[in-house]
Amino acid sequence: MKFGSFATFAADIEATDADLDVVALVAELFDAADSDLDVVARFVQGRVFPAHSETKLDIGPQLCYTALSRAAGRNVDADDIEARLAETGDIGAVAGSLDLGGQTGLAAFGGGDDHADGLTVSGVADELAALAAAAGDGSQSEKVTLLFGLFNQCTSREARYLARLVLGEMRIGVGEGAVRDAIAEAFDVPTAAVQRALQVSNDYGLVAETARDSGTDALDAMGLEVGRPVQAMLAQAGTVTDALDEWHEAAVETKFDGARVQVHYDGDDVVLYSRNMENVTGALPELVEFVENNVTAPVIIDGEAVAADEDGDPLPFQEILKRFRRKHDVAAMREEISVELHAFDCLHAPSADGGEDLLDAPFSDRHRRLRSVVDDASAVSEVLVTDDADEIAAFEATALEGGHEGIMLKNPAAPYTPGDRGKDWLKRKPDVETLDLVVTGAEWGEGRRASVLGTFLLSARDAAGDGFETIGKVATGLTDEELAALSDRLEPHVRSEDGQTVDIEPAVVLEVGYEEIQASPTYSSGYALRFPRFVSVREDKTPTTADTIERVERLAAQQQQ
Amino acid sequence: MFKAIVSADTLQETLDSVSVLVDECKIHLDDDTLSIRAVDPASVGMVDLDLAATAFESYEADGGLIGVNLSRLEDIAGMADAGQLIQLELDEETRKLHIQIDGLEYTLALIDPDSIRQEPDIPDLDLPAHVAIEGRDIDRAVTAADMVSDHIALGVDTGDDLFYVNAEGDTDDVHLELAPDQLIDLDAGDAHSLFSLDYLKDMNKAIPTTAEVELELGDEFPIKLHFDIADAQGHVTYMLAPRIQSN
Repeated sequence: MKFGSFATFAADIEATDADLDVVALVAELFDAADSDLDVVARFVQGRVFPAHSETKLDIGPQLCYTALSRAAGRNVDADDIEARLAETGDIGAVAGSLDLGGQTGLAAFGGGDDHADGLTVSGVADELAALAAAAGDGSQSEKVTLLFGLFNQCTSREARYLARLVLGEMRIGVGEGAVRDAIAEAFDVPTAAVQRALQVSNDYGLVAETARDSGTDALDAMGLEVGRPVQAMLAQAGTVTDALDEWHEAAVETKFDGARVQVHYDGDDVVLYSRNMENVTGALPELVEFVENNVTAPVIIDGEAVAADEDGDPLPFQEILKRFRRKHDVAAMREEISVELHAFDCLHAPSADGGEDLLDAPFSDRHRRLRSVVDDASAVSEVLVTDDADEIAAFEATALEGGHEGIMLKNPAAPYTPGDRGKDWLKRKPDVETLDLVVTGAEWGEGRRASVLGTFLLSARDAAGDGFETIGKVATGLTDEELAALSDRLEPHVRSEDGQTVDIEPAVVLEVGYEEIQASPTYSSGYALRFPRFVSVREDKTPTTADTIERVERLAAQQQQ
Repeated sequence: MFKAIVSADTLQETLDSVSVLVDECKIHLDDDTLSIRAVDPASVGMVDLDLAATAFESYEADGGLIGVNLSRLEDIAGMADAGQLIQLELDEETRKLHIQIDGLEYTLALIDPDSIRQEPDIPDLDLPAHVAIEGRDIDRAVTAADMVSDHIALGVDTGDDLFYVNAEGDTDDVHLELAPDQLIDLDAGDAHSLFSLDYLKDMNKAIPTTAEVELELGDEFPIKLHFDIADAQGHVTYMLAPRIQSN
């Protein structure tokens, strides 16, 4: 494909507002791309190399201005280009306004490569690859000359899009969704098949070519490849109640304050990708060593890279990022911050005929496979599968005490859906607000806790200020010591007992966390707390300064927004 | 097989005249000549260099081809003092070049020649004007032009029998005329072409001020510059494509 044809499509797309029309134009472009389809699928999104490629163009604006000035007419320098850019704000418009092509090439006189027919998409891609490969002493001038050579052959429209492409500012309104839809439209395949193929391969060019050359079945057959990153499955915020209502049982894991990392190991090389599918292998040598020594290939593992201090206690996320961004002095940083792998999922594992994809297997199966491929159990997430909210609360309390961020809730039966922020993985929403509520009743515990008060009935002050209305019960979040201490505090205030149920005069105020306030006929206030959790005893508060029904109403109203 | 001993000055001169155009190049190691041909990444400037075996203290080769990173090799050659000898030996097995300078040994990894930009065809041009000029006069013309412009026009006035240089800036202009008595030789013919100073400045850097440079010029045609290096045991030709005049 001629680069000029690509530029014409780009101009048409840029001039089009409606999403559907953009998709139709991109589809037409793909249809016309022939053997350059893979490059065109990237260029149209303003990408020169595949997203996961380690190759970067690394062209600064100044270098681009210098190259443009050399290709421009007489006595234009980089400062002139910059001044024009300051007026328009668009390097494409500046490049397109220049008087390019003044320099002839030796080809016109019988020497060098012959570009007489104008630039092609593949020619531009090759030159940009050479540009990316130029490194070391003198590479700046080599890069300028290469880019000057390209601009010198451009028409003004070609220059407009080439300048934007090299500076990563394509801005013609074509995102990943439009490319997905255009592949489906151009080659008459279902959007869902394209979407899935993109999620497993992350390679727009490959998916477009597969759709065109081999159709839907081939798209469906596209699988994972060790070494090629997969989009990470994402979680949304959710509550324990949501999880248990929806799935009956939840798989609960500690949520580490680390950085997402995807581990690929084919038996020879370990490659690590960040959540954005950047190759971060070089930044994390201890993970590479760990995988080489403890993991059975071929595998793709999803997990978290967690920073730890000298005592092995977790360090904040920022500490990990320091390492990810560090290209140099990795060895020195390694002394200060050690990084550990916490694996929680397995997308590809060894099988009789090499390896198999596990995306469609339920989480509980994938986690079992994970335990079988990782020798060191301490590097694999601990999973609690339960339908009991109290067990979840206890698990969370332990996680928080251990210095972690909280817990993850996963549907044990769900497949791994790459790139999808679905409802099968939930980050338990932290308590946004707490309420200071008065204990107005309790129940004696059972079994081991039969001698202490267990479940506490909570009330808020009514609007008038002298009565109390019930709002819920709290039984979770307390250690045995806290329960015993609280029993001792409350027993003098017991007014009456009826079986296990105890009526208590308002005296002690508890700070209570919750996920949500909902309207409920169960309690006299007309509200109930979902997933209430003991936080602390408010020693500084008395029943007269506890929270009112009015505040509860206000918080409930805020939730609706 | 390649094994040679060469003076540091000769090696530096050779490398410098190529590195003004490219970062990497292929070097042909024939039995009686070392030769390099390269075109810059924009296909605008070209260099064609021959260095005879007689330019070396000793030279043994049998037609090999190597790819080198020029700035790296220049750095190594720069370690030698003027007049010192540099010994070069190719290890065919490892594809590395062993370089020795008075006890200092440097092993240079070579580049796969296939990964280097293709060598250019040399245009066969019959240019009408020939000017023989001293290197220092080219330097003077280029330096003056560079003060006002990024382009330079070179031409021959057949009527007045002159070689001239023009540079037009936004405000200031430079004009330089050289009559036959200020030149080594002039074979007048119709010639006027405009060139990018970026390229001519780079080429000028590699031309010794004392060298006798032969220019071949035409009307809106490439310019050729010929000069000798290494006591006339080596020869360099630059070729540079013109800018379009109306531009």
